[in-house]
Amino acid sequence: MVVVPVLLWSGDASEPVDENAVGAERAEAVARTCAACHGTKGGFETDIPSLAGKPEAVLEAQLLAFKRDEMPGATVMPRLTRGYEDDELRAVARYFASLEAN
Amino acid sequence: MESRVSAEVSFSVEAGLNMNNKNDKKQRLPTPVPESGPANPGRRRALRLLVAGLAGAALTGRTPGLANNRGSAAWERIEPARERLNGATPKDGAIKLDLPGVTQDGSAVPLTVEIDSPMSEDDFIEAVYLYAGGNPTPELLDVYLTPLVGRARFSTRIRLNKSQSVLALARTNRGEWLAGDREVRVTVSGCLSRDDTYDFDAVMRTRVRVPERLEPGQIGEVRTLIDHPMETGLREDGEGQPIPERIINEFRAEFNGKSVLKARLYRAISANPYLRFPIAPNGSGEATFHWTEDTGESVSESFRMETG
Amino acid sequence: MGLLGAGTLLAAGGLRVYAGRPSHAHVAVVGGGFGGATAAKYLKILKPDLDVTLIEPNRRYYTCPFTNLYLGGLRDFESLGHDYRELQEDYGVRVVPDFAEDVDVDGRRLKLAEGSEIAWDRLILSPGIDFRWGALEGYDEAAAEKAPHAWKAGPQTHLLRRQLEEMEDGGTFVLVAPENPFRCPPGPYERVSLIAHYLKRNKPRSKVLLLDSKDNFSKQGLFMEGWEEHYGEMVEWVGLSNDGRVIRVDPDRLEVETEFGTIHRASVLNVVPPQKAGLIAHRAGVTDESGWVPVDPNTFQSRKAPGVYVIGDATEAAPMPKSGFVANNHGKVTAAAVVADLEERAVPKPTWANTCYSVIAPEWGITVANVYEVHDGELREVPGSGGVSPSGAPADFRRNEARYAEAWYAAISQDVWGTRPPG
Repeated sequence: MVVVPVLLWSGDASEPVDENAVGAERAEAVARTCAACHGTKGGFETDIPSLAGKPEAVLEAQLLAFKRDEMPGATVMPRLTRGYEDDELRAVARYFASLEAN
Repeated sequence: MESRVSAEVSFSVEAGLNMNNKNDKKQRLPTPVPESGPANPGRRRALRLLVAGLAGAALTGRTPGLANNRGSAAWERIEPARERLNGATPKDGAIKLDLPGVTQDGSAVPLTVEIDSPMSEDDFIEAVYLYAGGNPTPELLDVYLTPLVGRARFSTRIRLNKSQSVLALARTNRGEWLAGDREVRVTVSGCLSRDDTYDFDAVMRTRVRVPERLEPGQIGEVRTLIDHPMETGLREDGEGQPIPERIINEFRAEFNGKSVLKARLYRAISANPYLRFPIAPNGSGEATFHWTEDTGESVSESFRMETG
Repeated sequence: MGLLGAGTLLAAGGLRVYAGRPSHAHVAVVGGGFGGATAAKYLKILKPDLDVTLIEPNRRYYTCPFTNLYLGGLRDFESLGHDYRELQEDYGVRVVPDFAEDVDVDGRRLKLAEGSEIAWDRLILSPGIDFRWGALEGYDEAAAEKAPHAWKAGPQTHLLRRQLEEMEDGGTFVLVAPENPFRCPPGPYERVSLIAHYLKRNKPRSKVLLLDSKDNFSKQGLFMEGWEEHYGEMVEWVGLSNDGRVIRVDPDRLEVETEFGTIHRASVLNVVPPQKAGLIAHRAGVTDESGWVPVDPNTFQSRKAPGVYVIGDATEAAPMPKSGFVANNHGKVTAAAVVADLEERAVPKPTWANTCYSVIAPEWGITVANVYEVHDGELREVPGSGGVSPSGAPADFRRNEARYAEAWYAAISQDVWGTRPPG
C-alpha cells in the first residue's frame, strides 16, 4: 500500500525513440531547456559555465560522464542527464559546439 | 466553539512493533518512492518495497490511463463492492465524493463524502462503503451512520497508490443502494519527498474537537485524529525485515451511550487516521469516542456537550 | 501607449484595436513573468517575422524566486527587478504596459484595462496565480496588510521585511503554509530558513514556527537536516497530523487557530493563502472546478479554448511543480508548438526539466531536479531520472549548490528578460 509510484515503475524500456531524437530540431529543443541555467543558447558565463562554442568532444564526454555518475562532486547534472538518451546528449553537445562562443 | 486536546494516554504502545530505535522521538520511515535515482543507495530497497506493495494488484507494469477504466460503472469493476451489493443495482451518481482531481501526495488524499438525506428516524443513510479498486486491497472505510449525525457527510484521508477511481456505496435504512465515484490522478513529484513521519512516543495519542454548546436542532462538527502509523504490512524496515500490519481498525462515536457513527478502517486509511463528521445531539450529555487497534489495544475519550 | 503603430486600426466608435501587421501572424502573450516573457522571446527567436505583443502592466518586473534571500538580508530587492528593454530592442517583441482584463475567445480579441483591444491569431496566457481570498477564514485582502502573504514580489515583500526588522528580539515569526498545489512548493521552507538566518544574526532569542496543512513537503529531509544544522531549536515545523492546519486567521491580534483548537500568537504573521490561476484565465473560461487550467500536455494548448495556450503556475501540469524554472520551460515548448501550428507543421516532441534551488543558509543550498515527458497522454517524470540532493552531503557540496543557486538566478533572468550576451 503506502504511496507507490507506478509512474516511475514503467518497465517500458523498449519505448521507441523519437525519429527526430538526433535531428537538429530535437537537439535545439533539448538545448533550450539547458538555457535556464546556462543562459540563452548556452552562452552565459557565471559560476555555471557557458556551453556555446565549447569543443564537441569535451561536451559529449562530460554529458555522458554525468549520466554515468562518473563526475565526482557533480550536483544536479547526473539527475538531469539521466532523463535523456545518449544520442540526445550527443546531439546537444554537437549543437552547443556549433554556436559561437561569447 | 471550544476545543479540547486530550492528554496523552498512558499504556504500552510498543507491543507488536518490530522496529529499532524506539527511543528516537521522531522516526522517519522511508516509504517506497525512489527519491534520487540509481545513485541513491536507498533506491534498490525502494524498488523492492514497491514490488511488495503491489503484490496482489493486477498490474501490467504501467499506469493505465484513466480513460482505460471506462465502459462499466465503477461498482461493477471492484469485486468487494459487487459482493457487498449482492445483486442489487445502486442508484449511480447519488453520492457526492469530494477529492482532488490531481494529487501529488498519494499518502494522504483528503476525501469528503456527502449524501442528500434527511437523516431522520425513518429516512436515513445507515452505511457507506468506500473502495479504491487500484489499491492492493480495495477496501478503504466502512461507515455506519445514525440520525444522530444530523447530516450524511464525513471526511477522512486515504492512501492511493496510483491514479484510479474512488467508489462510494451507501445503503439507506430502507435497503436502497446508492453509488458515486470520482477519478483521482496520482502523480509523483520529485519536488515532494515523502517520508511517513510519526512520533513513536505519541502513538495512540488522540486529538478531538467537539462543540461544547449547541442550540437545539443545531448540527455541530466533530474532528478526531489519533497518532498511529497505520502500518500496512506491505513494507520492510531498514534491515529488510517485513513490518507487520498494525492499524486502527475501528472507531466509534457515541452520545449518551447511543451510536452516532461507527467506522471500520482498513489499511488504506492514512497514517494518523482523521475523521470529521457532524453531530446533532438530542439534548445535553456525554460524547464518547473509542479507537481500537488490531492488537486489541484501545483508547477512549469523553466530552460533555450542552444543548440549549 | 504606443498603440498607434502600423498595425493599428481605428474601428467604429473610436475603439483602438491592434492587430499586428497585415499578412503576418500575430501572437499576443499575457503576463511578463518567467512564462510569458520567455514565450514572447522564443517566439521571435523561432520565427522572427512573427508579430508578438507582450502585455504586462509592470514596466519593471520583480521575481518571486529569490525574494526569500531579500527577506533573509542576503540580497538587495532591486537585484530582483527586470525590465523589458532587451526583449524589445534585441528581439523585436512589442511590449504593452497594460492589464489584460478580458478575452473574447471566439472573436480572438483581448480587452485591455485602458480601453484598447488586441486582435490575435494565437493567444498565450501566463497569468501566474491569484489568491482565494476568504478560503481561509479571516484572511482577505485587508488582512494581508497586517499579516502579509508576500507570495508575489512587491509591496507585500517589503511589508514583511519591515515587520521583521521591527520585530522584538524574542518574538515569534509564524508562517502558515497551504495545502498542495501552490506556487513554489519549497518556498515556505526556504523562507523560514532564511528568516531564521536573519533572526539568528539580529534577534537570536526569537522563534520561527511553521504551521503546515501537509505532512509531507518538498525536499523535507534536506530542509530538516539543514534546520538542525544551522538553526537548532529556533525553527519548529508542525505538520498536518500534529495539528498544523490553520483554519482561522485573526489579523488584528496576529493569531491563528488550528483545526483542533490550538491558538498560536505571532509577532510577525506570514500567511501563504490557498491559490488559483490568475484572473485572465478565469475570464477566458479555461479553468476547471479546481481553479487551475487543464492543458494538452504536448503543447499547453487549453483543453477548453482552441488557439489559447496557457503556461506557468496557472496550469495543471503535475508532476511538474509551479516553479519559475518550469514556467520558463513551458514558454519555450509552447512557443515551438505555436510556431509549428502557425506553419501547419507537426508539433515537435516537447522536452521539460525542472531544477529548484533552495537556500537554507548563505553557503548551504539544496536542489531537486527532474526531467519530464508525455507518456500515454499524461505528464510524468522520465523513469530513472531526477531526484534531490543527497542527504548528509559534505559542506562543500552544499556550498556549491548555494553558489549555483545564485548562478542559476542570473542565468535564468538572462534567458527570460535578458541582460546580454548572446544576441
